[in-house]
Formats: sequence, C-alpha cells, structure tokens
Amino acid sequence: MIDIKKTYKNYVDGKYVRSESGKTYTKELKNELYELPLTSRKDVRDTVTSSKSGFNKWNGMTPYTRMQILYRLSEMIEGNKESYIELLVSHGMSKQKANKDIELAIENIIWFAGLADKWEQLAGNLNPVSEEYFNISHQNPIGVVFTLSKSTVSLNDLLSSLLPPLTIGCSVISYSEESSVLALKFAEDINNSDFPPGSLNILTGKFENILDDVSKHVEINLVALHKEIENDGLKRIQENASSSVKRIVSLPSISGLSSILPFLETKTVWHPKGT
Amino acid sequence: MIDWQYSESIESPDIVSIKKKYTNYIGGKFVEPKSKKYINTISPSTEELLSKVPLSNEKDINSAVKAAKEGLEVWSKLTPNQRSRYLFKIARLIQERSREFAVLESLDGGKPIKESRDFDLPQVAANFFYFAGWADKLDLSWATKSLKPYGVVGQIIPWNFPLLMLAWKIAPALATGNTVVLKPAETTPLTALLFAEICEQAGLPPGVVNIVTGDGSTGSLIVNHKDINKIAFTGSTQVGKLIQKSLAGRDVGLTLELGGKAANIVYEDAAIDQAVEGVVNGIFFNQGHVCCAGSRLLLQESIHDTFVKKLEKRMQSLRVGNPLDKNTDIGAINSKEQLDKITGLVNEGVEDGGELFQTECELPGNGFWFRPTLFTNVQPSYSIAREEIFGPVLTTLTFRTPEEAVEIANNTEYGLSAGVWTEKGSKILWTADRLDAGVVWANTFNKFDPSSPFGGYKESGFGREGGRHGLLSYLKASS
Amino acid sequence: MGNIKTSDQSIQWSNVLEMVYESRIDSVGLNERVNSLATRSIKKDSKLEALNMIVSMCDLTTLEGEDTEGKISQMVAKAIKPNPLDLSVSSVAAVCVYPSLVAIAKEKVQNSNVKVAAVSSYFPSGQVPMESKLLDTKYAIESGADEIDIVINRKAFLEGDYRRVYDEIVALKEVCQNVHLKTILEVGDLKTYENIRKASLISLAAGSDFIKTSTGKLSIGSSRQACYVMLKSVLDFESMTGVKAGIKVAGGIRDAKDAIRYLVMINEEMGSDWLNPELFRFGASSLLDDVLKQIKKLKTGAYQAGYYFPRG
Repeated sequence: MIDIKKTYKNYVDGKYVRSESGKTYTKELKNELYELPLTSRKDVRDTVTSSKSGFNKWNGMTPYTRMQILYRLSEMIEGNKESYIELLVSHGMSKQKANKDIELAIENIIWFAGLADKWEQLAGNLNPVSEEYFNISHQNPIGVVFTLSKSTVSLNDLLSSLLPPLTIGCSVISYSEESSVLALKFAEDINNSDFPPGSLNILTGKFENILDDVSKHVEINLVALHKEIENDGLKRIQENASSSVKRIVSLPSISGLSSILPFLETKTVWHPKGT
Repeated sequence: MIDWQYSESIESPDIVSIKKKYTNYIGGKFVEPKSKKYINTISPSTEELLSKVPLSNEKDINSAVKAAKEGLEVWSKLTPNQRSRYLFKIARLIQERSREFAVLESLDGGKPIKESRDFDLPQVAANFFYFAGWADKLDLSWATKSLKPYGVVGQIIPWNFPLLMLAWKIAPALATGNTVVLKPAETTPLTALLFAEICEQAGLPPGVVNIVTGDGSTGSLIVNHKDINKIAFTGSTQVGKLIQKSLAGRDVGLTLELGGKAANIVYEDAAIDQAVEGVVNGIFFNQGHVCCAGSRLLLQESIHDTFVKKLEKRMQSLRVGNPLDKNTDIGAINSKEQLDKITGLVNEGVEDGGELFQTECELPGNGFWFRPTLFTNVQPSYSIAREEIFGPVLTTLTFRTPEEAVEIANNTEYGLSAGVWTEKGSKILWTADRLDAGVVWANTFNKFDPSSPFGGYKESGFGREGGRHGLLSYLKASS
Repeated sequence: MGNIKTSDQSIQWSNVLEMVYESRIDSVGLNERVNSLATRSIKKDSKLEALNMIVSMCDLTTLEGEDTEGKISQMVAKAIKPNPLDLSVSSVAAVCVYPSLVAIAKEKVQNSNVKVAAVSSYFPSGQVPMESKLLDTKYAIESGADEIDIVINRKAFLEGDYRRVYDEIVALKEVCQNVHLKTILEVGDLKTYENIRKASLISLAAGSDFIKTSTGKLSIGSSRQACYVMLKSVLDFESMTGVKAGIKVAGGIRDAKDAIRYLVMINEEMGSDWLNPELFRFGASSLLDDVLKQIKKLKTGAYQAGYYFPRG
C-alpha cells in the first residue's frame, strides 16, 4: 500500500502555492509518493514579480540584519536536523552521509551569514586616480537571480547554489528538478526565518518547460545553472539571453569569495576634493 | 500658560540581581582571589555600595595567564567554524540578556539607561556577531598566509564603555585564534563579571576567556607577565606611555587606544541646526567620557554668534539626573577623582580668561555631577583648549579659512577623531584628507560600527579596532 | 500680526529671500534628532494633562463631498462636548469645514468657544486663477468664518516662482484682514526638508498667522520631521522679526501616542509657552476619539471601546 504524502507546494512571496496550471508530477521514494508542483510559464512570471519586490525589501535591509536572518536559518535547520536526515535517507543516502551533508550545509550557512556584513570590505576599494578626485568602486547586488539546482539530492549542494547571491543582497528564485522534495521542505525553514516575502522563492518542475521564459524574461537579471542542460539547452539559453544582455553563468564556483563575484555590479563614483 | 515638566520614568533595577561579592573567572571557574583582598565598587549616582570584587595579585595573574595558555591549546585545535559558532552563541546570549546588562552598566558606571540600552548593548552584540563571521574566513581578510594569532593576549579596558570596550577587545581576539586575560576598570567591573557567566552559558572551553579584577597594580602585573604575547590597552595617554615603556626590549605585541582632544569644525555653509545637534552629541554624549569626544568646537567666525546662541539654547534642554531615568540625557560623572579633575580644569579656564556658560539645572544631592558647560572667548594656549578634560565641557575656538581650521585642528599631540560640518562635498573631502585623525566624521559624530575601523594618530595611540583592519591588531606577521 | 506694508514688505522680502536661499538641512541628522525626541517618556500625571491639552488644540475636521448640514450639526455638538459623560474634558479649538458649510457651523457653535475655520483658495489643489481663490475666501468670511486655511501655490513653488507664492498669500491675507490665516504647505508635495523650510519662510513673511503641514487629502500627511523643520523656521523667523507664528499639524496623526510626541517636540524645542491653542493645533478626525479613549483609560484604568463616545 503506497502512502500518499502531503502535496508539497511551491514557496512564493512568503506563501505556499500550487502551480496555477494545477499540474503536478510525482516522485516515488521508498514507500512514499510525493506530488510536486509542475511549475508553468505563468508561475514563473508571477514569481518574478514577487522576486522584484522581494529584492527591494531584502536589499533594503542592513547587512547586519541580513546576517542575522541567515544565521537564524542555520538555527532552524539545526533544530530540524533529524527530519532532514530522514528525508535524505529515503532518497537512498546512507545515514552517515546524510548527517555529514546536513553538518556541511549548516557550516556553509554560517560561513555565508558571517560574510553578509563583510564582503563589501573585500570586494570594494578606493582607486588611486591621478587627479584631485575621490574615487571609489563599490558593489551592488545585481537584482533578481534565477538558480537551477544541481541534480544531486543534497542540502549542502542546494544551499551552495543559492547562498552566494542571497548573501550579497540579491533575491533568488531557486528551481529544483531532482531535489524538489528537499527544496520544498527547506522552504518551511525559510518561512520560519524572517526572510522578507519574495527574497527567496522556491519552485520545482521540469526546467525544459520554462527554459525559454526564464532566459527571455527581462526582469530576471542573471541565470545561474548548476547542472548541465541537455540537447543544446545552454546554447538556446545563451541566445535568448542575448536579446536583453542577460547574464548567464554556467556551473559557477560555489565556495569562497569568488562565489559571490558573478552576482555583483560594480559602481565607481568620482567626487572632486577642494575648498 | 502651562508649565510642563517630564515626570520621572525610572527603569527598575530589579531585573539584575547584584551579588554581595564577586570572584575572578579563571580557567572556566569562578575563583576567590589568592590575595584574599577585595575592593568596593559603588554607584556614582548615589554613592551607595553595589558590591565588592577581587583585588588580584601576582598569584592570581599567574593563574589567569596559565589558564589562558592551557585554553590556547584547546582553542587553537578547534576548526575555524567551531570558533565562529562559539562567538555567534555568545552574541545571541548577550542579545537575550541585554536589558539586564544595560541596567547593571548604568548602575555601576553612571551612564544614562537610554544610552546603555539603545547604544552600548546593541553595539556589544553586534561586535560579537561581526567578529564571529571573521573567525571562519580569516584567509580572506588579508592576502597573506603568514599571519598568525599572538597567543595569550592581556587586555586592559577603561570605565567609560565597560562592556562595549570588553566586546571590542575579546571578540576580535577570539576570532583570530587568541585567548585572553582581561582586566576591567577598577570602578566598573560588574558587567565584565556578568559577561563571564555568558562564557559559561555558551560552554566556552576553559581558559579561553579569563576575567580578573583589580586596580592599577593588577594591570601592571599583566603587562609585565613573561608569558603574555600581546597587550591591548585603552585608557589615558599617560598610562599608555608607561605601558609602552614597560614593554621596551621585549617581544610583545602592543596596541594602544588613548586620549583625544578632537576638533569639531563647523564651516559657515553647514546645515546649522544639524551641526548644533552634532556638536552637542559630540561632547555631551556619555557625559563627555569619550576618548573621541568633539571637545574643541572650531567655528568659522562669520557664524560664531548665531551658532553659539543656538548651541546654548539647545544645551539648556539637556537633562542631568538619575541614570536609571529613561529621560536622562547626562548621567553621573564616573568618580570623585574624575569630577575633581574636571572642576580643576574648568576653574583654570575661567582664570585664563575664558567666558563660561553653564546650563541651569538642578543636580541631585548625592553622587558626582557636572552641568553641561560651554567656554567661548578662548585662546588656543589655554589649558582647556589643549588638555583632555573627559567631561561635559566644550571649548570654542574660531577660524576664518579652511586652511586655518585644519591648522588649529592638527595643533595638538592627539589625533583620534575629528568632525567636519559643511554641505559642500568637495570641502569635506579636502578637509578630511588634511586632518591628522584616525576617524573623521563628516556631518555626523560619534558613529560606530563593528565593521568600521577605529583608532588614532600620534599620541592617541596606534592600531585599529573594528573592521577588516581591526583584525591586524591580533594577528602577528611571521617571517 | 497685521498686514505687512509696502516698504516693510520689500525689506522683509529680501531678507527672507536670503534666508530662503540659505536653507541647508541634513536629512539624516534631522531624522536622528526627531527619533531621539520620540524616546522621551512621560508618566501618568503629565500624560493626562497632555491629553487634555490635545483636545483643546484640535480642529475637528470634515472635508468631504458628502458633507451636509446634518453632518456638520453632529460634528459641532461633539466639538463643543467631546465626552458628555465627562464634562472636565474641554471643547476643541475649532471645527474645520468647506465654505458652503460655514454658515450652519457658525449657527451651531453659538456661544461656545469653538471657532469655525474654513478651507479656501480652491482647497486642496489650488490649481485655478487667483480670482477663484479670492472668491471662495471672501465667501467663507462673509459666511462667518473665524479662521481661514489656504493652500500655497505648489505649481509656482516647484517652478521656482517664490515671489508668486508670496504675493498670493499677501493678497489672501488682505482679504482676511483680522481673520486668522493658516497657510497649508502640503509637505507631501514639497518632498524635501529644504523645500518645507523655504515654503515655511515664504508663508511666514507673507503674513500667515499659522503654517500648516497638509490638506489631509494626500496619502502623505504630517510627519514629526516636517513639523521639526517648520518649528525651526518659525523660531528663526521670530528671531529675525520678533513675530511669533503658530503651527498646525494635520493628516495622518492617528493616535494619542503620536500626538503626545508632537507636544514633546514642541515643548523641548520651543518651550512650554508654545503649548497652547493660539500657537499649536492638530487637524483631527479620528485622533480625537483615540485621545478620549486614552483619557478615560487613565481615569478608570481600563482599556476603552469606541462606542462609548458619541459619533461626531
């Protein structure tokens, strides 16, 4: 007898929502059947609207506040460790590996939380121009970022894909295919961590269905792909992106300072010095 | 015509239970001093006895340093992530017990509850949060692999921001992998000892943080201990010089954060009402017990009279009184010694020929109090224009050109901070470039953030606290 | 505060113009000061006194297309006796209505101390020729208004034509003669603190008895920051001319707590002699009810519900 699990829903704008298409797809794990949202093109459009306003709220907070919210997320996950391990095990992971994965994920969040109020000191700088001007280069987050999660089922991998843009102030639309159940469970901890609505939205489904919409949507500022796309998918994405000079990053670095670099825009300001 | 007074709005001291006696925190335990001696600590606003704390001797310091060395063995073997998590935990615990700490700070030190609640405590928590986040990414801070922690660090802190100064010292030291022996000021030991409870609650490995109390002699013992690898001192320039001398010929790291006589420069094209607020904040915040206080007002002559009139009016609304009253702006002077020092210098100022303005306000009977004071008609040679008063006393000087302003501002052996008031951007940058000060506040004053480096030029000391640069105070370059 | 005569007018205007161009405000510093004033806390006795003071400073207002004689009658009754079960609560300072309701309001206030204020000058936008503005002002005065609330010409102000803004107020003041004139700056349209200061100084120089923050018709009404800018302007104007003008805050003061913060600010920045209805007013509709609730709570110790107090 197969146990039918609750219907997981997408997490958009601080709320749990079904796909507007009403469609779902199933995933069978051990003796349980999961129904997951099959995100549609209209869902994507609605999510981007949410992410835009989420960006204003998230980026409008002080770095100190973002740091505290991220740290709280680590506390939430720490508290729910057992249930995460259980879920990973039902995906076929050994208990030992699952434990390690969650540990690493928490360590990772803490690392990025502590980066939230420091990265600007590492990425920005004064420029020693040769005239009587004050000249500074500082960075702004690029805006709304769409990330396609890795195909592995790992909390650490999932977080590694969304933490870099999130930490520096971007709002993130995190899209998962294979790790969908994990992603939507994770959404519950986001919900408990004081993230402003729209700052982090979680969607699941088949990427092929929304590939064109995502790569053409002018209000998605950057698309980060953490897995290979089949059948010339990447080429198609890049061609679509060119029509609005959208940034596409394929398999970006996920750790260290270099992980945040793709998500920044540098602004240089000049001001004369004199009486 | 209605005469309208504020009623008292007193914060209850019941939230904190003060023990009759406190003991040192060494090696993760609370221990009685081997000296068997104690010193009293009083509330400067009422002169009542609050408690007594150890007067530590050589044996006590030896225990503390030994414990710190043992703690270092454990601390250095943890992963950076683990050290980071201890610091995050401490930050959280401080947040939770903030109100308790704030009340204790006001009782023990005399500062208004409005300040300890709204400024000191949030900054304390923020400092631990900030440095917690450096502990696991030191490799990113400076592009060199050859920076290592000093080891055992001795830290001596002052009485003006007792818990905040503790945070400024302990957070970066621990984040960079050091262990500490910290001595709070003689007149304000209580929040440091309450902090020791936080360390216990957080499960910090024994010996990583050690708190020992005492007087100047205790500080000396720490400075001269052969197993201390670095000293961090915040206090008077006079004592700082003695410490520097004591360490001569020894391979011990040193950072000093000493006194100041900051110039607050107000140009004629400043936003005047906001400049008045900034000047008032600059000198009367924390009763003027601030090393970076804007104690010299440099006014462009053309706006002198208008500005002084507005300033005097604004000063008149400052409320001096019970630190636990939420409406108090200016609390008690920290000690009888300090009060005498302030009074002495103010009398000198009058004798020298300065014109004195003091606000009319009633002062409580008991305790140490001083009214907000403004001197005008002052020459740069008067002692009130040159010496650090460390009280609510503002001295006014005039200038005519920007060049002159900079010259007067720099005409001092100190170089901690400075203020610049003008709505013209280029003038701010030009002036900031030429000021010999470690911190320049333009169109604001007394702004602090854990991410913003703080420290002085010249006899205001060397080394920075806070920010990426602040880490260098606790990392030693190894060849 | 009489009319400013021609020769004084030109001396006055050039001085004021200088002051206007010297307006420099740092908004970050200003916000910090206003926020720190909000941390003042006052205990029970002073609070009761403050609440009663607020009632006496209210201009109970209705400015709707749907206002009728019946509505005004109800409101005036409430203005005279805000809480019939507690006669120690004074009447409000004034009622504020559109010109066509002035006559009925005047009839209903009878012998009470409640004044009748009328908005005019094509309130709230003021986007008409001067003749129209003079016309509705004259009409309101002929109907018996004791006070007139006009709006400044924001079109002229934002176009930089400060002289026109000034001249219009002078002309309207001339129509008012001894009728008390309040000039609405509409801070929500002016946006920056420097604009608010400039508009304040121009209005004061032109002879306004009061400067007022808002019409209440925009989503952005009064703010303590705007009030701070205005009080500084009033003080600087007094310093220059010896003339004391008043301030009215209107639009968005929802509750008693907020109103008390305004009083704290006036008390501390200006002094207690500015705390009276001759020099400070609240434009209120829902504010009055919250104040009455708080008064009753302080006297009885229990939280109150709105239905204890008559509709107005």
